[in-house]
Amino acid sequence: MAKIGVFTCWCGENIARHVDCDAVSNAVAKLPGVHCSLNYKYMCSEPGQNMIAEKIKELGLTGVVVASCSPHMHLKTFRKTAENAGLNPYLVEMANIREQCSWVHSDREIATAKAIELIGMAVEKVRRNHALEPIKVPVTKRALVIGAGVAGIQAALDVAAGGVEVVVVEKEPSVGGKMAGLSETFPTLDCSQCILTPRMVEVGQHPNIKLMTYCEVEKVEGFVGNFKVTIRKKARYVDITKCTGCGACWNACPMKGKIDNAFDFNLGFGHDKKLGKRSAIYVPFPQAVPARPTVDAENCLRLKSMKNGKELCGVCQKQCAANAINFHDQDELIEIEVGAIVVATGYQLYSIGKEQENPNIQGYAEYGYGKYKDVVDSLQFERIISASGPTGGEPLRPSDGRVPEKIVFIQCVGSRDNAKGITYCSKICCMYTAKHTMLYKHKVHDGEAHVFYMDIRSGGKKYDEFVRRAIEQDGAIYHRGRVSKIEEQTVDGVKKLMVYGADTLSGKPVVVEADMVVLACAMTPTTGAPQLAQKLSVGYDEYGFLSESHPKLRPVETNAAGVFVCGACQGPKDIPETVAQASAAAGKVLIMLSQPNLTREPEIARVDERLCASCGACVKACPFQAITKEEIRDRNGNLVKTTSRVNPGLCMGCGTCVAVCPSKSVDLIGFTDDQIYAQVESLAD
Amino acid sequence: MENQLRNAIRKLLEEKTVDVAIGYGRVGVGGAVGAVFVTDPSEVDRLVWNAECRQNLAVHLSRPEVKALGKPAIVVKGCDARAVVVLANEGQIDRENVVVVGVVCEGIQGADASGVATGTLLDKCVTCVEHAAQNVDILIGDAAKAAELDAANAPNAKTAGKQAKLAALLQKTPEERFQYWRDEFSRCVRCHACRQSCPLCYCNRCVADKNRPTRIDTSATLKGNFAWNILRAFHLAGRCVGCGACSAACPAGIDLDLLNLTLANAADEQFGYVAGKELGAAPLIGTYAENDKEEFIR
Amino acid sequence: MNSETKTTGGFEPKIVAFVCNWCTYLGADLAGTNRLEYPANVRIVRLPCTGRVDFNLLVKAFEVGADAVLVSGCHPGDCHYAAGNFHARRRWGLFRELLDTLGVDSRRVHFSWISAAEGAKFQKLVTEIVEKTRELGPYEDYKAIVAEK
Repeated sequence: MAKIGVFTCWCGENIARHVDCDAVSNAVAKLPGVHCSLNYKYMCSEPGQNMIAEKIKELGLTGVVVASCSPHMHLKTFRKTAENAGLNPYLVEMANIREQCSWVHSDREIATAKAIELIGMAVEKVRRNHALEPIKVPVTKRALVIGAGVAGIQAALDVAAGGVEVVVVEKEPSVGGKMAGLSETFPTLDCSQCILTPRMVEVGQHPNIKLMTYCEVEKVEGFVGNFKVTIRKKARYVDITKCTGCGACWNACPMKGKIDNAFDFNLGFGHDKKLGKRSAIYVPFPQAVPARPTVDAENCLRLKSMKNGKELCGVCQKQCAANAINFHDQDELIEIEVGAIVVATGYQLYSIGKEQENPNIQGYAEYGYGKYKDVVDSLQFERIISASGPTGGEPLRPSDGRVPEKIVFIQCVGSRDNAKGITYCSKICCMYTAKHTMLYKHKVHDGEAHVFYMDIRSGGKKYDEFVRRAIEQDGAIYHRGRVSKIEEQTVDGVKKLMVYGADTLSGKPVVVEADMVVLACAMTPTTGAPQLAQKLSVGYDEYGFLSESHPKLRPVETNAAGVFVCGACQGPKDIPETVAQASAAAGKVLIMLSQPNLTREPEIARVDERLCASCGACVKACPFQAITKEEIRDRNGNLVKTTSRVNPGLCMGCGTCVAVCPSKSVDLIGFTDDQIYAQVESLAD
Repeated sequence: MENQLRNAIRKLLEEKTVDVAIGYGRVGVGGAVGAVFVTDPSEVDRLVWNAECRQNLAVHLSRPEVKALGKPAIVVKGCDARAVVVLANEGQIDRENVVVVGVVCEGIQGADASGVATGTLLDKCVTCVEHAAQNVDILIGDAAKAAELDAANAPNAKTAGKQAKLAALLQKTPEERFQYWRDEFSRCVRCHACRQSCPLCYCNRCVADKNRPTRIDTSATLKGNFAWNILRAFHLAGRCVGCGACSAACPAGIDLDLLNLTLANAADEQFGYVAGKELGAAPLIGTYAENDKEEFIR
Repeated sequence: MNSETKTTGGFEPKIVAFVCNWCTYLGADLAGTNRLEYPANVRIVRLPCTGRVDFNLLVKAFEVGADAVLVSGCHPGDCHYAAGNFHARRRWGLFRELLDTLGVDSRRVHFSWISAAEGAKFQKLVTEIVEKTRELGPYEDYKAIVAEK
């Protein structure tokens, strides 16, 4: 026999003003199965919760309905109350008579009648609830970090410091990401490499960290606590365990000084063709970790000749005393098991002029990027003014190596531009543009730095002061307005870029005869982020930024349990925010892996294997690949039948399987057909 | 053709390629055509092929008692062949373990109350464009002839026969349509012959027979009849091959397959999906496209 | 039980809504938090996802005397379970055609996407549905087949 207690809350006046709580209590007391019906001013307060607990103990209640606010507000609270009083927490349901009743209906009689019906539905449901136990899933105490920029490095070091093994996968030959190539960082102007390289070295040497560079995630199987990840170790043609990093190979390579370096964003200089160029066997930058070379198969003479059955060149191999070069190296698939995954795949700049991957986004052909050599994007400019860059930090313009006398910086190229398809603010450009003007002025004292901007967004500790310093101390010239086009002209034998803009504050057109233009392009997720998200069952937005589980309360979790995000793959952000988020993600990983078992909500799907006809509809429909077709065999190994089966570690409890099952041989615990039909039937006239 | 069919089946049985052949034979009262199960090669003369081979024999493939007979060969018409494909796609049969013997079918005739052929083609045959069964292992009959017949029917495939009946129904007002079905369903006795005759209604226990909760009335109330017929039709969405076995089996003479045809048309129009056309095809329900139409959603 | 009420003295439609826990249910909560008043005729059945809503539940709602039904969930791309709403959308697209052939009044079957941020949309939609259903009157056709034994 059901013994249900209904506890109606006044919520002070929030409910009681429009709902007659006494009338409600009296009416629902008559419902079948209701054993006691009480109301109280604040059911969530300590005396309110005590009232529920006492009645559970005193009357031996078999189910509880709390009629108060939204279950999103207090279902957990009241389930805990019940549990403490000895009642299985899953025997508690709520009727939402505040958000969905008293707050939206001012007629007391109508609201009271509706409240009674809502409680009636909840009573019918709770009569059919079952005592449930949270699911326990064993955990693999190892984490995977995807991406080894500053976000991935921070996350990996923090997890490793917590005593947990970490595998770090990086698709490039070195860790470091974008930050390793930056010049100096706002708002302190400390050198990017000076603060990052010690961390890079630590990641390479930490006993708890297994570093896998030049590798990519191929496949992800399994579920929270128990992921099986297949990693593609790309052919590097160099055995980095044998290689000593002496440099004999790359110095001997006949392609030396001829190949664009992606780490320098393919910069090239007219006055010295070798500047910024690398060999076919190369280390992307001197501080790389691991400081071991990689052979670029597209440009290596030997590897190219091997495609035609020949064996040309091979100079590097001859030079290598360690015998570390293997031209027959091949991609390798490696399977690892991890309990948690941190995604830190970072960003790239929006491709300004060229073809767009995303058909909804347009470029800025009018700025001549790609056509005029002295129009560069901000990451290229970082390399030009970086002490470790191709020019050694000398601000030389690419076309002819002259020191620019006037530079125009254009902000919001792509960002905040509905017409071009990106609506968001890239957040860091106002700050780094101010930094660019400063670094330039510090090097070229009589140079002019012009900035075209829409607004200056400099929220952050010491951020606005930084921008004011650029303007007031270093004399950057800010124009509030957009640039309509850029044209190259030759003035007195020197190439100049005519920048046509407007200053909306003075209302006048502005034309600047510049030597160089730097475009602060929108940040977008790195190529392949959506594909990776799909492998991980993580959501992403129209731009490919990964979706956090809750923007405020669960900022590093995702809707795929056990997968966390940090850094710019989740949205544009600067280094301090990225590092904070990475540490947060590491913290979440450590919390998760600190338990021997994971507990998960038991409200998941379950198949009645006796009745399942194994049509496979649910297998196909499950968004989490949580359902598989299984064979049931007798003790002699003869096939008895096939059936669908739910993996409780993977099921997220959406119930899509139930809707597509023709015989309803699968049901969703907590939202069973029995419960739902009873709720609907309680509404019968 | 009948002889060709018999010879082919004899060979399959003699060479032990199959253990049983499911085909048509004169089994009913007065020699009515129905299913026969031939296991002995000397008995293949029991098999017939003519314009009275109405049944969709695929219904037998998923039956445990038939499975117990061993590896089957099955005789299928064009429409029936698609049911075999759906059964394979839904994992109910191992397609590698069935020999599908397709026939070129020039059309099946209706029968009067006593089971005598009327001489007029069934509605489904008037719009048929698969006179030669597809996705079969052996095809008996003249494929060229089948192609001719397909071409002749093609212009009317979306308008004649059952399609014409459905179009006429859709010409009526919603109220009239509701009244039409109310009249029809009031004759339903919930014998579930529609379910039993359907090759794709193979659940171990039908949801209509479950009572916790009672999702639809188990007895023949009018609201239960509505719910049952809605459920039966929708469970066949993207699966029904239009063989018409349900309507043929209905003792109340309800044109049940109009509901199936509605869904088959919708599947084709909205998703370009034809049930049983392709071996290995994903199901219509249970998959989605991000650009599925949604103009009806606010 | 019934909330036939005094306000109009006339017909008060019964509307059953099947909504997902993560978007539309929270949208309805937000309407409450913002005190956006709407008619009291809707009874919400909270489900994890629209992917969970079987068509037969809509039939059941009409059987218990609903004058209109609403199914509402997350906008495409917002599904808490990544794709439950996509699966739901495909089924509804087909199911509507079946209802149309049956002559079930399509003006009484509503589908919507309402996010957790769209309290105002929830208010507006519910108000419209209730008003429209009031104009249509009780769903006599279905009530008649329910009454007939």
